[in-house]
Amino acid sequence: MIRLERRLAPASSPRAVFLANAAAIFLALLAGGLLFLPFHVSPFTAYADLIGEAFFTPRGLGYTITEAAPLILVGLGTVFAWRSGFAYLGFQGSLLVGAVVSTWLALQVGAALPFALFLPLALAISFAAGGAWSGLVGFARARLGGTEVLVSLMMNYVAALLVQYLVTGPMRAAGDLPQTALLPRSTWLPVIFEGTRANIGIFVALAAAVVVGLILRGSVVGYELIVTGLSPRAARFGGIDVARRTLLSSVVCGGLGALAGPVEVLGNQHRLLDGVGEGLGFVGIVAALLGKLTVTGTVIASVLYGGLTVGGNAMQRHSGLPSSVILVIEALIVLLVLASDLLLVWRIAPARARTA
Amino acid sequence: MGVDISLAFFVTWLAGSVRLGGPLLLAATGEIYSERSGVVNVGIEGTILLGALASFLASLLTGSPWPGLPAALLAGVLSNLFLAWLYVTVQANQVVVGITFNLLATGLTSYLYRALLGTGAQPSSIAMLPDLNVAALSNLPVLGPILFAQPLMLYVTLAIVAGASWLLFHRRFGLNLRAVGENPKAAAAAGISVVRMRYVGVMASGAGAGLAGAYLMLCQIGLFRDTIVSGHGFIALAIVIVGRWRPWPAAVAAFAFGAADALPISLQMLNLPVPPQVFLALPYVLTVLAMSGLFGRVAQPAALMARYERE
Repeated sequence: MIRLERRLAPASSPRAVFLANAAAIFLALLAGGLLFLPFHVSPFTAYADLIGEAFFTPRGLGYTITEAAPLILVGLGTVFAWRSGFAYLGFQGSLLVGAVVSTWLALQVGAALPFALFLPLALAISFAAGGAWSGLVGFARARLGGTEVLVSLMMNYVAALLVQYLVTGPMRAAGDLPQTALLPRSTWLPVIFEGTRANIGIFVALAAAVVVGLILRGSVVGYELIVTGLSPRAARFGGIDVARRTLLSSVVCGGLGALAGPVEVLGNQHRLLDGVGEGLGFVGIVAALLGKLTVTGTVIASVLYGGLTVGGNAMQRHSGLPSSVILVIEALIVLLVLASDLLLVWRIAPARARTA
Repeated sequence: MGVDISLAFFVTWLAGSVRLGGPLLLAATGEIYSERSGVVNVGIEGTILLGALASFLASLLTGSPWPGLPAALLAGVLSNLFLAWLYVTVQANQVVVGITFNLLATGLTSYLYRALLGTGAQPSSIAMLPDLNVAALSNLPVLGPILFAQPLMLYVTLAIVAGASWLLFHRRFGLNLRAVGENPKAAAAAGISVVRMRYVGVMASGAGAGLAGAYLMLCQIGLFRDTIVSGHGFIALAIVIVGRWRPWPAAVAAFAFGAADALPISLQMLNLPVPPQVFLALPYVLTVLAMSGLFGRVAQPAALMARYERE
């Protein structure tokens, strides 16, 4: 007989944590693999194909990098917000706001400006607009005592309707589809390797990762933000203006998420349309959670999730397997990694012989 | 002439408010059990979607709408057993679990729909649940369409609200559930199982959300699409807060949010020169305003979202 026994202290060695997480990911892939069976796809070859397509073909790798860039930016926003105790969930909305203003800029002045001037300008106004958007939520939380979870979730739908209005109304180009005109070619993010889709959006994302890492680890503001997140009470006793830090965090996190808008529009879609960047705002949050809210972890998890999406789309083309399977696997990985904490708290022990 | 138009407008609007408020109320009533036990179940958004798909498939397969109700109930309760395990046993962050579960539900329903009905499938229509059809009442002027020409599910929902109010505030079960949400340590010392009560609370919210999905599907939409819920689970969470964690005040709030939801449909009659998205955004903007803190803070169950360590 075996039985469960509570450990005296949770196992915390790097090896124990790694093994518990690996077991969780394996279990999630196994459970997700069951969904392949009705399509007569063997889970083993399917996963091999999926990873091979996404990471070991130049074309697939290009797509993976393109997919990963907006996820990294949303993930960084999540790290910034959640580490400072601001549970922002409105990245889909911030992304759309960034997409709208950068599309507008590209259509207005994109053809006239040199790219070296246009790109920083597009990123700056996206950051500012997305930061103002999420700053409203921070203001409600810090100054009015509102709840950021529901407010930020609802603002995602408002932003989606705003995009729908713009592409069916004032920004609509002539034609059958509700979308803007194609952006001037000079505003498209340049491709890194000829023949692939990989564009310099990934450099924007990685640069943002470096900046966020430096702020959180090496600056006084970053320290104050993290203390605020760990314990607002302790922060207040330590002389930190918690409300102002929450406000700052809310503006920066939404600004980071909004950068995913121009990266997606200028790098991938090349126009604004209804449903642009669909789902990126939430998959990015989930990637940051898988990365345990660290900058490096978020970058790695975003590349992994970007690759899963690319592999899933390829699988849908080859075998008709709905690509929504990937969403199930991505979410299940995070939920089971959370649950794997139980393995660190409990252990399986052989039953001791009963002593009288 | 003008009088006729405005009367017709208000009657359709109010009837629509009650019609669209019903599923919101059902989901919110379930959520009250969960939050009263100390767990914020953000996963009801995804649970409504699962319930809607389950009832759609059951109705499609059997040709009758009635099996849709137990199917949705089962989908809601079982999926929320998994959620309860994550909230209560694993003790993971409730918001993290909830939103990740919603993503899982979005992927799973989209997968199942395409796996079972094929990717290029035309949307199939299903048998729907009947309205209450008592001609003498439904044909009353003004009150008839608003209060009586409504789906049977509305009256079932109101009975569930009455039952919840009685259970939560007039039975020992409700006292125990609320004790667990206010002060779990004291409740445990009094011999109440905190873990069991919270599992019950979360699974009750799963039942409410699953049935709300069936309500949406079998009384209003009749077609499955990925976007049929689009935030109404989150609106139900706001209704719980506006209703101060009590079933009857939540009912008032639910019909108010239903009114915001129904306004765009009624306004089509008036041909206003305003883009439809302005009115479509109304329920979301209303929720933002209600939750922004502009109208004061409310006292929530004291142990809501707090970790509980068994002694």
